[in-house]
Amino acid sequence: MSQSASLESEHQSPVDSPASILNTLPDIPLPAKVCSPRTQQQIDLLLLALEALELGASEHMLATARQLNIDQVVKNRVNLWRLRCSNPWRRSYTRDYLSLDQAKALVIIAGYRAKDLMVVIRQLLVAEQQMREKNFPLDNHFRLSEYLERFRAHFRSRMNSRRAKVSAYIGSEEQLNELALSLLNKLLFCTGTRGMQRVWFSLFDGEVT
Amino acid sequence: MIMNATRQYSSPNCNLILEGIEDSDPENADILSGRAPISAITNAECHFLRLNKKLSGGNVFLANLTKAANNYAQGFLSGLFPPDKSDHSTGEYPQISIAQVSDQDLHRLTFAPDPNSDEAKTEIDLTTVELFDLVEAIDQLYTDPSVLPNMTLDLKPVSKRYRQPEQPLAERLTPVAIGLSSLAIAAGALFMLPIPQESSTKSLPLNQTPKTETQTEIPNSVPRQIPPAETSNE
Repeated sequence: MSQSASLESEHQSPVDSPASILNTLPDIPLPAKVCSPRTQQQIDLLLLALEALELGASEHMLATARQLNIDQVVKNRVNLWRLRCSNPWRRSYTRDYLSLDQAKALVIIAGYRAKDLMVVIRQLLVAEQQMREKNFPLDNHFRLSEYLERFRAHFRSRMNSRRAKVSAYIGSEEQLNELALSLLNKLLFCTGTRGMQRVWFSLFDGEVT
Repeated sequence: MIMNATRQYSSPNCNLILEGIEDSDPENADILSGRAPISAITNAECHFLRLNKKLSGGNVFLANLTKAANNYAQGFLSGLFPPDKSDHSTGEYPQISIAQVSDQDLHRLTFAPDPNSDEAKTEIDLTTVELFDLVEAIDQLYTDPSVLPNMTLDLKPVSKRYRQPEQPLAERLTPVAIGLSSLAIAAGALFMLPIPQESSTKSLPLNQTPKTETQTEIPNSVPRQIPPAETSNE
C-alpha cells in the first residue's frame, strides 16, 4: 500500500499544476511575444512525424495532455487541430500565432510521446544508418519504409502544394524522406534527460536578439 | 580528509566516467542521496563503445567536450551553426570540435591535444544515435546534483545575427542582375538607333484650326437630310 502510494506521488509530482509542467521549458524573450511562423511550422512537423510513427497518434497526444494536466491549453481534438494549423505550410493555415504557453504545451506533448516511442525511434535511426552503410535504398527496411511512406502521405494530404517550398518537397520523394528522417532525429533528442529543453531552444535559434 | 570518488554516466553507446575529489564538508552533502559532491575533477574519460575508443583529460577536457557537444547538438537540431570564436581565443588544450562529415550522415569529433605533448590528434566519426548518446551522458552529468554543483549547462537560443537567409545570396541577386543587364542591353540597342528628326512638314496656320473644329461640329448640330437619290430608290 505504502509502495503504491509512493509510486503515485512520484508520478504526480511533475504534473501537479499546469504551470509546473510548462515551467520545465524556460520563457524565451521574443520581440513579438508570440512564436514566429517558422517555429510553429517546426512544432507541427514534429507532431506530424509522431503521427507517422504510431496509429491514433492524435488521441495519444490528447491523452498525454490530460495526463500532464495541460488540457486547459490543449483542450480537445478541434483545439489541437487549430493550434497545429498555425503552421503556414498547412492547407488550412489559420494565420494565428501561438503563445509561448501553447508552444510549450505542444513541445511537451511531443517530448512525452517521443519518450514513449524511444525504442522505435532508435531502431529506425539505427536501421537508416545500416542501410546507408550498405548502400541499400531506405525502402528495403520494412519498418523504416512504413514510417517514410506514412509521413509522405500525411505531408501530401495536409500541406498546401501551392507554396513553393511545399511543392518542392511534394515533387521529390527523396527530399521528403530526408525531412522525415531529420524530424526523427529531433524526436530522438526529445527523449533525452534534457532533450526537451534542447529542442525547445533550437526552435528559437535565429529568432532572438 | 580528502576522498577520491568516481561517477559513471552511461548511455547505450557512450560512457562518461569522472574521477574527482569529494567535498569533505558534510553540509554540502546531497540531501536525498547523502553523498558528498565532487568539487574538483581529476580525470574525465569518455568511452565510445561501438568504436572502442576512449578520450580522456582533466577539467578543460570536460568543459570543452561539453561546449562542443552543446553547440553542435543545437546547431544540428536547428540547422543554424554560429561561428564559435571562443574555442580558439582561449587556446586551452585539449581542444574539441564536432563537425558534420560532408555527404555522409556522420559527425566528426576532433580531439586536438597540446602540440607540445606526445598525444596524437584523434578523430572519431559518430553516428547520429552515438552523438545523441554523448549528449545524453553529458546531460546526466549536469543534472546530477552530487557532481560539480557550481557548474551549469548553459543553453540558450542562437541570436538572429547568425541567421542564414533561406535563399543564398547568389540566388537572391540573380533577378537583380538579370534586370540590370537587360536594361543595359536595351539601352545599348536604343543608343544605336538614330535620333528622330523633326518633321519637315509645315504646321497648319493657326486660323485654320477653328475652321476644322466648326466643320466637325456641323454634322452634329445640323439635322440629317435624306439625299434625294436614296428616296427615289425606295
